[in-house]
Amino acid sequence: MKLLKQLKYSLLKVIDLSGLTFLAPIVRLCYGEEPKVQLQKIGQWILVPIAGVCAFLFLWHITSGSIQTKSGTLPNPVETWQGYNAIDTQAEREGLKKTSYELVGEERDQMLADAEDRLAEVKVQVAETNAAVTAAKEAVDAQTKELIAPLDKEYKELKSQYKAASKARKAVLVTDADSLKAGNVAEYNAYYEKVEESVVKTAQEKEELSILKKKIDKIREIKSPEVAKALLEQTFAAEEAQYLSKQIELLSDRNRAVQVETATGMISTYNEEFLSLTGKAAYDKARSIAKAKERLSKMESSSYAQPATIWYQVKRSIFCVFTGFIIGTAIAVPIGILCGLNSTFMAAMTPFIAIFKPVSPIVWLPIALIIVSGLIPDPDNNPLMLFLWDLPLIGEYKINPAFIASAVTVALCSLWATLANTALGVASIDKDHMNVARVLKLGFFARLFKIVIPSALPLIFAGLRISLGVGWMVLIAAELLSSSEGIGKFVWDQFNNGASDSLAKMMVVVFLVGIIGLILDRIMIVFQRMVTFEGSVSV
Amino acid sequence: MNDILQINNASVSFGPPSNRTDVLKDLQLSVKENEFVAVIGFSGAGKSTLMNLLSGLQQPSSGEVLYKGESIKEPGPDLGMMFQNYSLLPWLSVLDNVKLAIGAVEPKISKSELDEKAHHYVKMVKLDHAFDKKPHELSGGMRQRASLARTLSLDPEVLLLDEPLSALDALTRSELQDQILNIWEKDKRTVVMITNDVDEAVLMADRIVPLTMGPGATLAEEFEVNMARPRDRHTLNDHPEFMRLKSEITKFMMGLNKESKELAADIIPMPKVEPKSFAPPVLSPTFKQNPVSRKGNNNVA
Repeated sequence: MKLLKQLKYSLLKVIDLSGLTFLAPIVRLCYGEEPKVQLQKIGQWILVPIAGVCAFLFLWHITSGSIQTKSGTLPNPVETWQGYNAIDTQAEREGLKKTSYELVGEERDQMLADAEDRLAEVKVQVAETNAAVTAAKEAVDAQTKELIAPLDKEYKELKSQYKAASKARKAVLVTDADSLKAGNVAEYNAYYEKVEESVVKTAQEKEELSILKKKIDKIREIKSPEVAKALLEQTFAAEEAQYLSKQIELLSDRNRAVQVETATGMISTYNEEFLSLTGKAAYDKARSIAKAKERLSKMESSSYAQPATIWYQVKRSIFCVFTGFIIGTAIAVPIGILCGLNSTFMAAMTPFIAIFKPVSPIVWLPIALIIVSGLIPDPDNNPLMLFLWDLPLIGEYKINPAFIASAVTVALCSLWATLANTALGVASIDKDHMNVARVLKLGFFARLFKIVIPSALPLIFAGLRISLGVGWMVLIAAELLSSSEGIGKFVWDQFNNGASDSLAKMMVVVFLVGIIGLILDRIMIVFQRMVTFEGSVSV
Repeated sequence: MNDILQINNASVSFGPPSNRTDVLKDLQLSVKENEFVAVIGFSGAGKSTLMNLLSGLQQPSSGEVLYKGESIKEPGPDLGMMFQNYSLLPWLSVLDNVKLAIGAVEPKISKSELDEKAHHYVKMVKLDHAFDKKPHELSGGMRQRASLARTLSLDPEVLLLDEPLSALDALTRSELQDQILNIWEKDKRTVVMITNDVDEAVLMADRIVPLTMGPGATLAEEFEVNMARPRDRHTLNDHPEFMRLKSEITKFMMGLNKESKELAADIIPMPKVEPKSFAPPVLSPTFKQNPVSRKGNNNVA
């Protein structure tokens, strides 16, 4: 019983620390504490937000169909969800391809058999979907033709009619011109008017024709949902078939173990042949063996060149934002502390802070990119880069100049909040606490680490939280511009790709970025609460 | 000469040169070693400023403050100050607050010794049930005790107590008074305590020095307390010497209050104007305003 009660208080404490206060009423309700009040709170803080989300999804669903974009209508929630699935499937397939490349022995045989079975199934699907697309298109074509036929007929009739009429008018006017008497102004004017009238009439007829033509074109342009659906299924099947044949390839001929085996076999046959040869032929064989051996050694250590998947990009973005955030913090906190301690230093720094603070990331990025590229002109042979690529955990993220420039941009844009808050926190330290330090005769560093920094920590962390939020926003733009592999680059690739589901995939990114930003903020809130003490200055 | 603390003609003034206000003027005080001196005065008289002078947190504008015959240039652990508003570091637990102080005074102390010593001082003020509590989790009395423990842990030559008991209720107050007296008697040292409670001063001190009303407050004629120790608070009210001192000091303090009010006679008299009411007379009960009691400070008595 006592344990249960203790559990309740620790649960509530965790909830309070993490800022997930909407969960508190549920815990209290489970313990039967004022059920009426708790239900009311649950209604307000859980049900109402859920209802809000539902209302948003509903509005999105009904309005998206009527918003025309360059690539079809705005994706609705269902299409966005499909976009997410497509991204996720692609990532999963890339992972499987890598495994396929590295797989050996019975497992490989098993997987190969599975893939071949599945490919046989999918091939049937491909044929089916192709037929379905053709059928749907034919049906739509027939429908369109039926719709267009009367209009087309009318158009053709009118066109020939107007052409004849215009020809006749011209003939009459030309003959009329023969009877004009030179010098008679009134007669000439009357003739000119007739010609003008005829020109206007011809233009009117053309206009009529073009309106009709547009009507016909519009009918042709109508996209049938059946065709779109058939096309989508066709794409799915075709993509899977393509993936499977690639996988089969990686499991058989292009599998690393298989390639190594073939090469080894070849070398041993070469060796046998070599022993019976003399003269130039022997030299040639020896050279071939040496080359084959070299290839073999490279092959053995090679890994599958996997294209970036969305989850890799997400991880790299998070890594990049923390890199920039740490650089920014390492600059902002010491400068902030100095500013807070010393008003002269603060006065010296104020102009720089005031001028650099409002500068947009779009300006910092190209500058950072040029400087970093200048410092690291050839990343593949740069000792620092090679060192970073060999590091255990971060090596797989292939830190390159674009990455560094993005991180530096994040640092430059996000450090200001931390700097200002640190300076404020240090400057507003309680005078009594400083008096304590004086009575205790603490030295500069003891004073700094035992009094000043602990007392300023809540404000410093409030600043860090803002900084991380700003950095995350800046990073996506920086990656988009610098083509540093990450979420921003994913958006840019989709923008340039222009496939039918690109827009849906970009919408997915909106939520992805939002959710990750939310999680980062939550983490910072927990840190902030952990260092906050009673009576500290809060923002 | 065994005066451990001495103030010679010290004055403290604030403000720009053109408009200087003397807060404390012509202070004279000497405190003997192991003496318990109480400074008594009204709120706002400049008691805390006097304490800052003695601890070295503030320098006098003129005159000098001497500790063992030398002028005090800066604060230090020898002059152990217990601040009026506790000044405990809110991010540290009670024990860590004490440890910080000990560590500052004895930087070379070993970890186990530090731990032992900190526990000793926290136990001394009977806070052993609250070692790990943060200051905000403590009551006012407990905070004051924690602050006292920290000050004692400095092992100061002189204890400077700035209204150490002012924020406490009567019960906690007497308990802490006994604790301070116990500690002082057990481990003799010099104490200067500021208070606004005459009973407390008479009960605890060897000597009581009244501080006159500010601005320009100064230390007035002192009262010797010639009562044997230990003094029993329960029989105190029957002690003729206690009653005599109490009434004398109270009379003196009340006189000061009256004097200062007479001094403040140059306040511009306000014309007696009342807003004219244009509202129609209403038939409702009216209240006569109670005359506001203008009896200065209720703490004295």
